[in-house]
Amino acid sequence: MDNKEIQNRVVKVVCDVLGVDGEMVMPESNFVFDLGAESSQSIQLVAGFEEEFSIDMDNEAALAVQTVGDAVVFISKYVN
Amino acid sequence: MAVQAPSQKARKDSPGISGAIEAVFSPRSVAVLGVTRTPGTVPYDIFHNILSSSYSGVLYPVAPGKRSIDSVRAYRYLTEIEDEVDLAVLVFPANVCEKALEHCVQKGVKAVIIISAGFREVGPQGASREKRIKEICDANGIAMIGPNCLGVINTDPAVSLNASFARKMPAKGHIAFLSQSGALCTAVLDYARGKGIGFSKFVSFGNKAGLTEMDLLEYLHDDEQTDVILLYLEELRNGRELIEVARRITRGAGAKPILAIKSGRTAQGARAAASHTGSLAGEDAICEAVFRDAGIIRVASIEELFNSAIMLAYQPLPKGDRLAIVTNAGGPGVMATDAAVRSGLGIAHFSDETAAKLRASLPAAANIKNPVDVIGDARCDRYMAAMEAVLADPAVDQMLVILTPQSMTDIEDIARGVREVHSRAEKPIACSFMGACDVAGGIDILQAAYIPHYILPEWACRAMTDVQRVIKWRCQPEEEPQAVPADQAAAAAIIDSLPAGYLREDQALAVLKAYGFSVPDYRLCRGVDEAVEFADRIGYPAVLRIVSPQVVHKFDVKGVALNLQSAKALRDAHRDMMAGVHAVVPDATIEGVIVRRMIPPGHEIILGAKRDAVFGPTLMFGLGGLFVEVFKDVTFALAPIGPAAAMRMIRDVKAYSVLEGARGTAPADVEAICQSLLRLSRLVTDFPRIAELDINPLLVWPVGQGGAVADVRIRLNGETQPQ
Repeated sequence: MDNKEIQNRVVKVVCDVLGVDGEMVMPESNFVFDLGAESSQSIQLVAGFEEEFSIDMDNEAALAVQTVGDAVVFISKYVN
Repeated sequence: MAVQAPSQKARKDSPGISGAIEAVFSPRSVAVLGVTRTPGTVPYDIFHNILSSSYSGVLYPVAPGKRSIDSVRAYRYLTEIEDEVDLAVLVFPANVCEKALEHCVQKGVKAVIIISAGFREVGPQGASREKRIKEICDANGIAMIGPNCLGVINTDPAVSLNASFARKMPAKGHIAFLSQSGALCTAVLDYARGKGIGFSKFVSFGNKAGLTEMDLLEYLHDDEQTDVILLYLEELRNGRELIEVARRITRGAGAKPILAIKSGRTAQGARAAASHTGSLAGEDAICEAVFRDAGIIRVASIEELFNSAIMLAYQPLPKGDRLAIVTNAGGPGVMATDAAVRSGLGIAHFSDETAAKLRASLPAAANIKNPVDVIGDARCDRYMAAMEAVLADPAVDQMLVILTPQSMTDIEDIARGVREVHSRAEKPIACSFMGACDVAGGIDILQAAYIPHYILPEWACRAMTDVQRVIKWRCQPEEEPQAVPADQAAAAAIIDSLPAGYLREDQALAVLKAYGFSVPDYRLCRGVDEAVEFADRIGYPAVLRIVSPQVVHKFDVKGVALNLQSAKALRDAHRDMMAGVHAVVPDATIEGVIVRRMIPPGHEIILGAKRDAVFGPTLMFGLGGLFVEVFKDVTFALAPIGPAAAMRMIRDVKAYSVLEGARGTAPADVEAICQSLLRLSRLVTDFPRIAELDINPLLVWPVGQGGAVADVRIRLNGETQPQ
């Protein structure tokens, strides 16, 4: 799976979980500072990514990821 | 990015920082950064508290991805707000606070409250995060409260700001509360609410990375809404600055009392150390000295804190300490009298006129002397007559009204009677309506009228005693440290030439001699013949003391021989000492023995000094032997001191009466001790390399005869250049 596809699917999960418009979600967007993720939503995001990509991530490491771009890089390691 | 490089200048030099503190308490606009829509979470509750506290300014929620919070338009970023923002409250997780602060800088925010945890308190990573946010605030003149705090409350109706996650806005009052612990704040708010106590300002300052207790104390000194300042501290980082600031606040024009709890009283602060002073001068003992020197009334519990605070905040200061007690129960009256006397309060002796008034208005069985017992069946009229009579007596400075609830006691009427008397009185009044359920209505009336109420009369006496401490402190004259004469160059010649570690006894004695201490003639003798020759010259009885770098505690290795009456006795003692020391410390390098005359017996005094990392040079005084070993009966002060402070150190030990000549002994030469403390004060102030110093004992003789140093240990720290 190429990075473009991973990014599109990450944006889709982010919009679903956080209830934000897709145009707000940029690679440099910080989940908390830019997209308003609350602590419970951070866990929902991790669960959403796992379901979207059918992967099982290291939760502690996943929760430490702060931006959309970093999430794409992190997920690509599992997908590819 | 708009964030400037961190300034090397101290925070206080930042331009406009004092004005920025105003923005913490009286902002014209507040933005809460990181608000959520979930009630019961810190970010939401803080926003909701500000919104529901009738805040007089404008509130902006910053909540990315949300159009509004509680129907208030939300902003994605602080920088999108069109108007000026004075105060930003950061409730974001710690890892984005730095980013949020950058926006604060861009927006020109004057002050921030960082509620978020996850800084210094969580370890090195958090500490470096805290360092960065502090640098940003310092460099940009932003006043910062926190991080890791509960927030700030200002009850001034002109502002009415509850920027905290406390459950409720407290009532308006004239007591300010500053706390390092956020969790304690909520408990204190609830406690105070139950007692009907209001606040002027309420501040949880958490890790105090930005504004410290000193900055906040200075602010409260000028705050017209605040009459009394309460402080809860877990750590003191700059004791000397606290003294300087607190002295300005607690004395002179516009003086305000400061009451403080410093936790950690029983912590294992007294580390094992080679010197007495080192082991006795734990953090808490020094804190005690710092608070005393700062005029801060240190209390042991929240109960005592508020007991004394309401007395100071609600009542005028008494002109003296003479207490009149009016009670309907003999037992509690006597208990209160005992407590008053124990606390050092005076018991008023009524005039004949007062006695006549009381006799005329009270039943024959009543006690018209102090404590006035109006008898168990007394109703309001009898209480009123007694209260009016004693308050009118010029020999009465303050009054305590005690009530126990009998079947005929009209509790609420009596409370209203006290309220009426209080409204006309110019003297302080306190009450103790003893009990819980039956007296509750009366207590409510008293509390609503700002009449201090205490469940137990003893607590009232304690609070009145704290008031006396405040008065005494204000009357205590300011004192400059006294520069006693000393040969500083002679001492420097020894100290500057030595590495870190203990001075040899002859070197230590020479340092003391240079500073004018009374030191008997001595010599470091390398062999027994030299020792005998010197002893023959100075006369017997003589003393031998081993000199070896491996031996610090000479008595422990039989390295001291006392009261040697002849040359033969000295030779025998020398032989035995060499054998004894080698037996206990086989690798000891023996450099010789100190020979001196036996010092005549006297009062054994211990004088000590320790350079504390936080507080600098500290002094210790105590009586030797059991008093210091078992009872730890010692006092401390921060050097330098003057004669009055030295005398306070001496008088404040519990065993002071021993020096005054207890059990028929001659009074000790206290003036000589005072002079020795002043010399010690100058010595440790002049030489920052002195890490620890023990004079133990200083033998002190009767008045006018002075004393002499019998033993001394001085340890130098590793700095090779004196400051």
